[in-house]
Amino acid sequence: MSDDARGWRIALVPDALINAPARASPASPDVLGVLEQNGYGVLQLPPPGEHRRLLAVIADQVAEYAHHGYAVVALGVRGEAGDGLHWRRLAPLLRRRGVTLPPRHIIRPDLDAGAEGQRLAAFLTGYDLPLEEQRRWRV
Amino acid sequence: MDQNAPRKVALIANCLLNQNAKVCQGAHYRGVVSPVVEALRRRGYLLQQLPCPELAFAGVRRWWAVYEQYDTPAYRDHCRRLAQAIAPLIEEYLRRGDEVILIGLDGSPSTGVRFTSSAPDWGGRPNRPQDDWQIVPHRGIWIEELEAELARRGLPPLPATGWALDMGRFDEAGSRRDLEEFLDRREIAAGSHGENPADP
Repeated sequence: MSDDARGWRIALVPDALINAPARASPASPDVLGVLEQNGYGVLQLPPPGEHRRLLAVIADQVAEYAHHGYAVVALGVRGEAGDGLHWRRLAPLLRRRGVTLPPRHIIRPDLDAGAEGQRLAAFLTGYDLPLEEQRRWRV
Repeated sequence: MDQNAPRKVALIANCLLNQNAKVCQGAHYRGVVSPVVEALRRRGYLLQQLPCPELAFAGVRRWWAVYEQYDTPAYRDHCRRLAQAIAPLIEEYLRRGDEVILIGLDGSPSTGVRFTSSAPDWGGRPNRPQDDWQIVPHRGIWIEELEAELARRGLPPLPATGWALDMGRFDEAGSRRDLEEFLDRREIAAGSHGENPADP
């Protein structure tokens, strides 16, 4: 895959973080911007509500990535139900598909947006699969 | 902003936020396709990512394929299932009066809007020479099934275009110009330049 630009890292991201500007939370860091700078792809979780089938579809996609050498993380946002991740429903769906639950990073809109952005960037930069796993898949 | 004011929502192809969904050698960005995100956000659109039908069907290590290879009853059933999973969200937007547009991926056998890729003779051992498929003006299969599901629910057709990533040779500047023209035509049509108080 030498002429392929993919970054092999993916973040599960709540709707509230992707569409934050329109939801009037200027205190949040620009999460999409930080993800882009760190080379992460995004899987968007739906807004609050009942999205049983959509969450199953998302879990299928996460399983496919997790089983083929992609690093997957989950970003939550404090103050949203289930941190915006629908975690109570999503976690069992992932376990049932044999997926080790991705590490979670929780963003706190009550703290300084700049500092939260830096904390997020540090988390994203620092995470990846072990080198052995990377070499196995990413050729 | 008034909580009930109509919003602008862009449904976007999965790989426009996540290039890891592409077939091998198909990713032109590490993750997020930032020119698309920037163009939409600058105009006040909320983003709603669609699922990737190919990834969930044939996997992340699937071969390249063209429209005709995916045009099977099983794949169309799969696309319908995905459409039924995302349609309630889209219906919710439309029923509350939001303006909803669709940005697909032109040239894709699944997510093409203006164009898809065609080669009726593809099949068997995957050793095709470069560029021996046609780009034809046609929807991809996923977009066909998504639009059919929305129509079944009595929803109006969505204004749609595609980011021209899968057209053989990717021209980012041309794709950006196309997308921005599409978005700006909508702004003008909506009279949003100071005439519509609902817009920011």
